[in-house]
Amino acid sequence: MIVLKDVSKRYGDFTALHDINLEFTNGLYGLLAPNGAGKTTMIKMLATLMRPSGGEILYDGKDIFQMEETYRTLLGYLPQQFGFYKNYSPKQYLLYLAALKGIGKKEALVKIEELLEKVALPDVMNKKMKKFSGGMIQRVGIAQALLNDPKVLILDEPTAGLDPKERARFRHLLSELGRDRLVLVSTHIVSDIESIANEIVMIKNRQILYKDSVEKICQTLEGHVYETSIKYEELDAFRNRAILLSEKQEQGNTIVRFIHKGKPDVAWLPVTPQLEDVFLYEYRDDVDGEV
Amino acid sequence: MMRIIFLECKKVFMSPLFIGLFIVFSMFNMYLIVDNSYFKEELKIANGLAETYGLEITNESLHQLEEDIKLEVGKMTEMTGQEVESVFSFFDQLSMEDYEKYSEEEQSFFHQLQLKEAYLNVAKQIDSDYEGLSMKALAEAEIEKYQLSGNAAEILLTEAEKLSIRFDKLKQTGEHKQWFFLGQPYEMHSFLFRTIVKAVVFEALILIVLATALLTTYEFENRTHLLVYATKRGRIVMKDKLFASLLVTTVIVAMLLGVTLAAYFTVFDYAYLWKSSISSALNWEYNFPYITWWDMPFWKFLSLVIVLLYSCILLFTAITYAIAVAVKNSYFTFFIFAVFFAICFMLPGFMPLSSSLLFITTFNLSVVVMNPHLLFTGNGGLVMFKYHEVLTVTVWTVIALVLYWLVSNHFKKVDIH
Ligand SMILES: Nc1ncnc2c1ncn2[C@@H]1O[C@H](COP(=O)(O)OP(=O)(O)O)[C@@H](O)[C@H]1O
Ligand SMILES: [Mg+2]
Repeated sequence: MIVLKDVSKRYGDFTALHDINLEFTNGLYGLLAPNGAGKTTMIKMLATLMRPSGGEILYDGKDIFQMEETYRTLLGYLPQQFGFYKNYSPKQYLLYLAALKGIGKKEALVKIEELLEKVALPDVMNKKMKKFSGGMIQRVGIAQALLNDPKVLILDEPTAGLDPKERARFRHLLSELGRDRLVLVSTHIVSDIESIANEIVMIKNRQILYKDSVEKICQTLEGHVYETSIKYEELDAFRNRAILLSEKQEQGNTIVRFIHKGKPDVAWLPVTPQLEDVFLYEYRDDVDGEV
Repeated sequence: MMRIIFLECKKVFMSPLFIGLFIVFSMFNMYLIVDNSYFKEELKIANGLAETYGLEITNESLHQLEEDIKLEVGKMTEMTGQEVESVFSFFDQLSMEDYEKYSEEEQSFFHQLQLKEAYLNVAKQIDSDYEGLSMKALAEAEIEKYQLSGNAAEILLTEAEKLSIRFDKLKQTGEHKQWFFLGQPYEMHSFLFRTIVKAVVFEALILIVLATALLTTYEFENRTHLLVYATKRGRIVMKDKLFASLLVTTVIVAMLLGVTLAAYFTVFDYAYLWKSSISSALNWEYNFPYITWWDMPFWKFLSLVIVLLYSCILLFTAITYAIAVAVKNSYFTFFIFAVFFAICFMLPGFMPLSSSLLFITTFNLSVVVMNPHLLFTGNGGLVMFKYHEVLTVTVWTVIALVLYWLVSNHFKKVDIH
């Protein structure tokens, strides 16, 4: 079990995270927040790459920075951005990382073959990585994180660069992995984790906004989400009445999905809130061009 | 752990720049050697003398040599049909045209004999030449030359006194009376140590600084740092990188020196002179013969120079490592190292001429490695101290250890972005 106790992180004068308190047990956690919210910052601390400016991070009651090797033996980590050795093949590269993870060569060879199979790269095992596409590199990264069969698996935006088919396969792999270990997946894409996460952690204003199941989080908007069909010309006026979540064109009309707290119009169709709705609602002030 | 170190070493030896440079440097050294080899046949005379008359130059052996030369000069009289007193005087009155008349064999004979005469003349004059040498006068000349005063001048005179004692002892034991290649004109000592060995040191430094900077900053430059430093081995991998760098350094020095010295000793034959003293009067190249603080046969001097330079280079590796950990960029590391090296070398030149700082600042590695031909000698300008080399290496070992401790502690705690 991992516990974050009053964890803060400052970069110079800038506070990225403030007094974070969290508990993770086994299961799949989705760390969901827009870009710049502090996901990577939190994850780098969990990977012992950065020290908290305040507070502490405990694994089974012990400070992870004091546990050193003992903690990192349990850790699998995929950074948001990472490089590779251009003239190495995935096999050579993974063998090197396996050595750093304290895995014997023979054992590593078996494991590498198995993992490359799992991420659908067995054919290019001995090809130089400089010819690889972004998605292939990302999959090597995922394989790398799994080399030591980690008890704690932390993935920072793992789906970046993957195509829809690969994403689907990856989601499947994740839910399988989440059964018997702690998996923390950060993302700013709701669909990545919506269907598989046991719990979602959302960060807002440097603090934890929610840490709950998808259902519970959605309940916070229960009875406030509607859909209705309006004329395109009415759209601007509508914006002033309600918080628009999405709009789509249909036979000359615009179907809008929105949040309204207060007495609803009879023409509005109440709908079940989705995680996406919560995300859009909570981060409506953030620049969301990237979502 | 051995596997990690091996994998780190592999990163260097897979770098094309590195392999290319190694080949270029080796070729360059070969070229230096071959370019200077036109007189290698003449060098056989010194070997021949040591073989025939023994390495030590004694009154008896000199006498014997003189007799033998007389015999051969007699032969010359027969060959030329004119009274020859010495080859030297013979050549003196010989015109080029006349010389051409002799067969190649005869010419070669004359030439050999002339060289023997030259060796004999130098050997005969050793005692009188050495009478004229005074360590005090040498020190005073240096003081004059560098305009030293105060503390600095005093230190130099004190050292000169110590060297005088050593010099007197040397004259007593006859360490200086051993056959060696004539310092004039061959300058073999300078050629081997100042030209060849220094070139090797320079090349090795370039290679090891590149290699160490490459290895130490490898993860940051390839953006694999987040992966590598979060593994089980984690930041301790830096220790492996240091070991790997030291290992790579060892391999580089061994290979570069191996190749170069193998070529050198293939071209230049030292067969009978390995045991000849560096302080030999024949090894007198410039104003002064070399005077080592200890009795040093050539083989011992060479070995000690190699051991010493190797130690210095290892220390340079450690210093490069410390710089690289701090700046995380291999080009900056290389640049900073170059500046550091140059500043250390020039530092004594900026010191006041009256202060002991002038000497204290010579206790640095750059000064040691830049003058391999003067190592362990007592008359090497400002670096004449008996224990200069040993002290410098000791002091810098401590400095390197402190640097290592500082950067490891820094790196252990630093945020890796
Ligand atoms: N090394 C750094 N120095 C200064 N500010 C940083 C650094 N890393 C991240 N930040 C800032 O901290 C905030 C959180 O960043 P990050 O943790 O990368 O967010 P996310 O991963 O959620 O996109 C951002 O505003 C970012 O600009
Ligand atoms: Mg991020």
